[in-house]
Amino acid sequence: MFSFKWFKKKSPWILHYNAGSCNGCDIEILACLSPKYDLERFGVINCGNPKQADIFLVTGPVTYRSRERLIQLYTQIPEPKVVIAVGSCACTGGIFRSMYNVEDGIDRYIPVDVYTPGCASSPELIMDAVIQAVDIFEHKNQQLQSAKKLYRQPVFEQGRFCVSNVAKSLKDKDE
Amino acid sequence: MIESVFILLAPIIGALLYGFERIVKARMQNRMGPPLLQPFYDMFKLMQKRLYLIHAPHALFALLHFITLWMVVAFIILGDNLLYSIFLHLLATIFLIMAGFSVRSAYSHMGANRELLALLAYEPILILMAVGLYLYTGSFNISMIRTFSSSLPQLLLLFLSLALIIPVKLKKSPFDATSAHQEIVGGVEIEYSSWMFEFLYMAKCLEYVFVYLLVALFAGNSLSLALLLVATVFLMVNLVDNSTARVKIQDLMKMVLGFGLILSIMNIVGLYFV
Repeated sequence: MFSFKWFKKKSPWILHYNAGSCNGCDIEILACLSPKYDLERFGVINCGNPKQADIFLVTGPVTYRSRERLIQLYTQIPEPKVVIAVGSCACTGGIFRSMYNVEDGIDRYIPVDVYTPGCASSPELIMDAVIQAVDIFEHKNQQLQSAKKLYRQPVFEQGRFCVSNVAKSLKDKDE
Repeated sequence: MIESVFILLAPIIGALLYGFERIVKARMQNRMGPPLLQPFYDMFKLMQKRLYLIHAPHALFALLHFITLWMVVAFIILGDNLLYSIFLHLLATIFLIMAGFSVRSAYSHMGANRELLALLAYEPILILMAVGLYLYTGSFNISMIRTFSSSLPQLLLLFLSLALIIPVKLKKSPFDATSAHQEIVGGVEIEYSSWMFEFLYMAKCLEYVFVYLLVALFAGNSLSLALLLVATVFLMVNLVDNSTARVKIQDLMKMVLGFGLILSIMNIVGLYFV
């Protein structure tokens, strides 16, 4: 049977956010997209728009100034979404750990799916993380689809669509 | 019959063209590039994502933009009036601009503003192109234009100015200030997500078909010349896209109006007097 599941693994669009990083990991991420490593051959686009992104690449220990933006960006990415913490700072706080102006890693605020070690994280590791993130993306998508099937209504749609569907299902029940 | 097949398949042909273009661009940079069917993978993925609707008119404008562009492509393939097609294409762009102004995002407004400025720059050249083809063939009818021999020697300057506005239309460097994703995050398309963005994505593919159909008009009745022209322009546009940086929107207007409009007017005046 024709299924979309063979296709959606092939187009991960990434959103890159610097939560107070020293720019080391950011340069490595850009190196991934450059001709030498060529992450685009997996269908990756570095789209700066959270509403169209699938994979959230975060670098840096979360500084006090950047945490609100981090959460805003995370909530603006539509489900299914995957978060990658790139570099030691984003994983644990790295050399900035327990400093007065720094949160220790991004997993204090948002759920992280893939941790990438290294200071700075190497392009090979980042590429590996993106490939693993694509598998996790696929898994999350399956869960969402099965939940949709289970309730036979678009539970993840906007409120007003839900209302109309619930009303319809109630009406069906009455009949 | 064959026309209706082409019209139905126009978004798919555009998507294949876009996928091929991404490969060509990657090979120019000594990269491997994504697979040919990448635009289809993107579309299927976008269908699986959750939809964030801003409000109904915003979604409707994207839909109207896509449908109107499809109609433009259909009219050109069917050989309808060229001037009418160009004005309908203007309407499609205006739907996109209204979509940009209908939400409160500053980036969306800025993108719509730039889209308007770019429209001011390239629309006169498109209309002058139709006028030039009219002076050469005596008809605005595309099926009539296609029966004449190639108008390239007489309308060379008009062809060059059309080649100048192709990067504006396809949002390529150096004229991609309208959707510059590093500074205004895609401009008008910023608030679209999931399958609503898919309509803009497919519209982008249809723009490819529209532009290259216009290029093929200069070849007249010769199919081989049409293919040659399209291939040449395709390669040149990608070469320029890979080797130049983005210019500001003011410079875009100066360059397009300065070179393109003057070249077009020179060509038409020349046709009239010579």
